[in-house]
Amino acid sequence: MQTFEGYRRPNGSIGVRNHVIVMNTVGELASFTKKIAQLVPGVIPVVHQGGQAQFPEDYKQTIRTLKGTAGHPNVSSALFLGMGDDPLAKELEELLKDDNHHVHAIYFNKDKPVSEVLKEGKQWLEEAMDRSKTEKTETADVTELIIGLECGGSDAWSGITANPAIGACSDFIVRDGGTSILAETTEAIGAEHILAKRAIDPEVGKKFLKIVKEYEERIKDTGEDIRSANPTPGNMAGGLTTLEEKSLGCIKKGGNSTLMEVIDYAEAPSKKGFIFMDTPGYDVESVAGLAAGGAQIVLFSTGKGSPTGSPIVPVIKIGTNPRLYEIMSEHIDVNAGKIIEGKNTIEEIGEEIYQKIMATANGSMTASEKHKNQEFAIWRLAETI
Amino acid sequence: MDYSFEGYLRNDGTAGTRNYIGVVCSVVCSSVIAKEISESVPGTIPIIHSNGCAQLGDDFQLTKNMLVGISANPNLYSALLVGLGCETNQVSGLLKSIPKTKPIEGIGIQQLAGGENTTKKGVQIVEQWAKEAAVMKRENLPLSSLTVGIVTVDIDEDSLKRIVPVVGKVIDLLVENDATVMMGLTDTLEPAGLLLAERTNSQEAKDKLRKLEEGLHRKRWKEIHKDQSAARSFSKEEKLLAALEAQMTGTSPIESLLGYNEKPKEKGLHLIVGTSNMVETFSNMASSGCNLVIVVSSRGILTGSVALPCMTITPQNPYGSFDELVDYTISEEDPSVQVEKVMKELVEISSGKQTSLEKLELGEFSIPHVGTTF
Repeated sequence: MQTFEGYRRPNGSIGVRNHVIVMNTVGELASFTKKIAQLVPGVIPVVHQGGQAQFPEDYKQTIRTLKGTAGHPNVSSALFLGMGDDPLAKELEELLKDDNHHVHAIYFNKDKPVSEVLKEGKQWLEEAMDRSKTEKTETADVTELIIGLECGGSDAWSGITANPAIGACSDFIVRDGGTSILAETTEAIGAEHILAKRAIDPEVGKKFLKIVKEYEERIKDTGEDIRSANPTPGNMAGGLTTLEEKSLGCIKKGGNSTLMEVIDYAEAPSKKGFIFMDTPGYDVESVAGLAAGGAQIVLFSTGKGSPTGSPIVPVIKIGTNPRLYEIMSEHIDVNAGKIIEGKNTIEEIGEEIYQKIMATANGSMTASEKHKNQEFAIWRLAETI
Repeated sequence: MDYSFEGYLRNDGTAGTRNYIGVVCSVVCSSVIAKEISESVPGTIPIIHSNGCAQLGDDFQLTKNMLVGISANPNLYSALLVGLGCETNQVSGLLKSIPKTKPIEGIGIQQLAGGENTTKKGVQIVEQWAKEAAVMKRENLPLSSLTVGIVTVDIDEDSLKRIVPVVGKVIDLLVENDATVMMGLTDTLEPAGLLLAERTNSQEAKDKLRKLEEGLHRKRWKEIHKDQSAARSFSKEEKLLAALEAQMTGTSPIESLLGYNEKPKEKGLHLIVGTSNMVETFSNMASSGCNLVIVVSSRGILTGSVALPCMTITPQNPYGSFDELVDYTISEEDPSVQVEKVMKELVEISSGKQTSLEKLELGEFSIPHVGTTF
């Protein structure tokens, strides 16, 4: 069994990183959040523009995403910044404390000077940083790992090299008792029947077909055809011709394992094995959802070369072709282009990715971590009020 | 009294109250590189956001137009567009749409084979512009060169009552002096639709404003709604408060109701769509050509716009309420005296005096969504 040294959290989960983060609960506080993070080296700001003036569906999704992010096993401590009259920070703090997370919320109150809030925030974060440095790791195995599966900037090689290799790796992880989550509902359109057939029972299959259908209708309902904008200009330059072709390539990341569960955006899986999460194909929003759902590491195939990462989870980039690896190696962790050159089989690259996951879980930095690619965005479900 | 300010006259006749170099990401995937470039050169602002790919129709157009609009904003001496390469919102498309009245260039991470090269190239371009921008001088300009946004944030009845007698007159004075003013039509002002409809000669604006009587409409796309919008009627209290807020616009006729990224076609008073997310509203104002914003609130606000000076006006409060973030506090003094004081502050800020928010470097940019990402 493959093992790694991780950080055991009081709620039983295990992290592969030990981050201290600071988050805003309302858009108005995004600037301050970045400012406070700058005061304490090593603290990561996670900012967004949601949280206020949202319909219930967005509000719930925002809470779920922020809660999943702050309570993530890779996070040692999280500080929330809230407005004095904003219930969101309070609610998040209470929810997470109930689950034994080290979190704190500070508020901008009308009777407190802003400089006081900055001082208070800085002090808490300094203590949290010190605290994180005293935390010890312990040995855990792959059964405790959740791996997110993502693709971005796909080309015609994606479905031939990197995605099938990720699929092979996903099957290895599932075989060894771990969990992998495929995402990007829109990129299952046209290939949904294949995944539905692999569902553990008819209920799961039906739920999967339902989310795919809903997504397509959601888009049609706005008077648009998803097929007119996907594949994107870059995908087409990369040789992809239709959405179905892109989808067939996309779902290869899911390997051949049985589909155990279909979960909502930013929701944590309740089962082990192969899972599907309902997310947009938009990479940064999708990765944020996967991370909030508890994935400790995300695999991300790219043909055109995408540098994006996540503020809290290591993202492992798998390049689809040799040329990309040659010119953009600064952003690529695994070169699946070797499959085209006949140097390796899909299974061998799948194994290489697996070893990369274990090395990353043991602390080795990924390309996106080295470059501080900490993009974050939450999938929106309605206009701002 | 004669009013004028010291601003940066642009080639297209507009004027900047600031002289920034903008580094604009076309998509969230290039936001880190755009930020890195802007952090390397003083006088440069990052215009970064989380949109730009996997968008369709109106939602995509809004993102694109917003970036075209802010790149063209007179507070920007020049703009560097930083793309990834494979995104929906292509840099080449942005370059085609931005008017060629200032230095504009575009670079892409995939085209330049990686983030390191892109940062290097971007810094090179921006450093050159910074030298050019540094030698530009402010010149004396009439108020007709100002486009002032005004928006209320988190405001109660008592505060409105104390602020309206002063700010309403300020807006009248700005309009009399041929400035362009756009008031944010947000959910707190929308209930005054019928009242505002009476003040416009534009049939289009009248129709849209009267329609607001039906209630609050916003698009929702998670569950498929029949009319893709959600209406909730406005309460009597909301209408009363909105009527009071409407007085903030003074007494001038309303020329038009501007949508997202729409530039006013004539001087005078306009309304502009906004949301209760102030960053989105400021960003839309910046995209529509504003060079300054007046924010009216019961308290100091905690963020401004990355590109526009936001001058905050609040009433005097017993509890202080973020005084260090406020630029003008309404006192018990005679309103006509205070009108002159606000005008003086506005002219000074337009001429380069930093607002409280600018001093603390609190400014953001954000693009609203009007449809799902996919």
